[in-house]
Amino acid sequence: MMHNIGCHIGEQLLYLFVEFFKIGLFSFGGGYATMPFLYHISDNYHWFSYEELTRMLAISSITPGPVGLNVATFAGFKTAGVLGSVTATLAIMLPSFAIVILISKVLKKFKDNFYVQSILYGLRPAAAAMLGAVAIRLFNDSIFAHNAIDIKGILLFCFLILFSFRVKKDPLIYLLIGGLFGILLNFHHILNIFKG
Amino acid sequence: MKPKLFDMFLSFLKIGCLLLGGGYVIVPLLRNELVEKHNWIDEKDIIDFYALGQCTPGIIAINTTLFIGYKLRGKTGAFIAFLGLILPPFLAIILLASVLISISNNIVVNDVFWGVNIAIIILLILTVKEVWANSIVDKFTLFLFLLILLLSVLKVSPVKSIILSGILGILYKVITAKLHKSGGSA
Repeated sequence: MMHNIGCHIGEQLLYLFVEFFKIGLFSFGGGYATMPFLYHISDNYHWFSYEELTRMLAISSITPGPVGLNVATFAGFKTAGVLGSVTATLAIMLPSFAIVILISKVLKKFKDNFYVQSILYGLRPAAAAMLGAVAIRLFNDSIFAHNAIDIKGILLFCFLILFSFRVKKDPLIYLLIGGLFGILLNFHHILNIFKG
Repeated sequence: MKPKLFDMFLSFLKIGCLLLGGGYVIVPLLRNELVEKHNWIDEKDIIDFYALGQCTPGIIAINTTLFIGYKLRGKTGAFIAFLGLILPPFLAIILLASVLISISNNIVVNDVFWGVNIAIIILLILTVKEVWANSIVDKFTLFLFLLILLLSVLKVSPVKSIILSGILGILYKVITAKLHKSGGSA
């Protein structure tokens, strides 16, 4: 159930390696910077759905360790089990490893280099825009799912937006509130379970 | 003084357990363990490596860890530091993933994740807002933001978007630098 049917495991690990190597090489910025790449993989390979990826991101945000790496481990596991996790984790780290060795000799010069700064000047807005696009897609998928507007979803969204004016960005608090409201707004599900 | 590889591994293992939340959080943890406890490295170096980690591709915490590991004990040091840092979260994720797959059909679990899903959208929006301040600094970066937003909504691959924006960044900077030069000398 965890493996794609009809795809040889070795071949799948190879694709997994290549895709996560690309993330390691092309993603910039902290935290959620790898997410646009993963949603793109979800579109192209069907290893995991958007919804599953969002769940992985939520769990990775409240587990110790760098979020980007946690999601990679998780997505690798979902695709090809423990071997997939190891493959994804190593693949996403290898470009960093190579770059660290390459530039460690010219450290100081590297950061202040005109061309490095110019590339980053272009990359930062792009990284922000890619995250914005993920937010738009997720909003669209969760609020307008199944050809109907999710009123409860809009309510929770607006509440959390108002909440964010007051409370600074802490994933744990926001995810807890989201989960709690998820249960409360659909409380009839729990009542149904008790009714049998 | 050169640390033993095994001691390094233990220190980064500890940091891996304590690292909760992203971004700058790793810096005080590194300082506690590597500067105050073991005196293996200067505090200034840690901050420099963190800044460098932001300028290089990949995950910032991993880049920082690799830089420090490399400085302490070369390639082996970098790999050992990485291994220590990721082992605790790696095991935690594998454990949680196994549990999650077995409960993902539960209706109440699905309700929780319905709400969590919306919270994630908010967190993404807040991240964009945070990054906005030091990335959208002029009209050209605003243009780049809108361009890449459009391309991403149209499902252009992130790799292409990143390459394109890097090239446009260089072109813009080189051209404006040239214009300034000729304007200044005239």
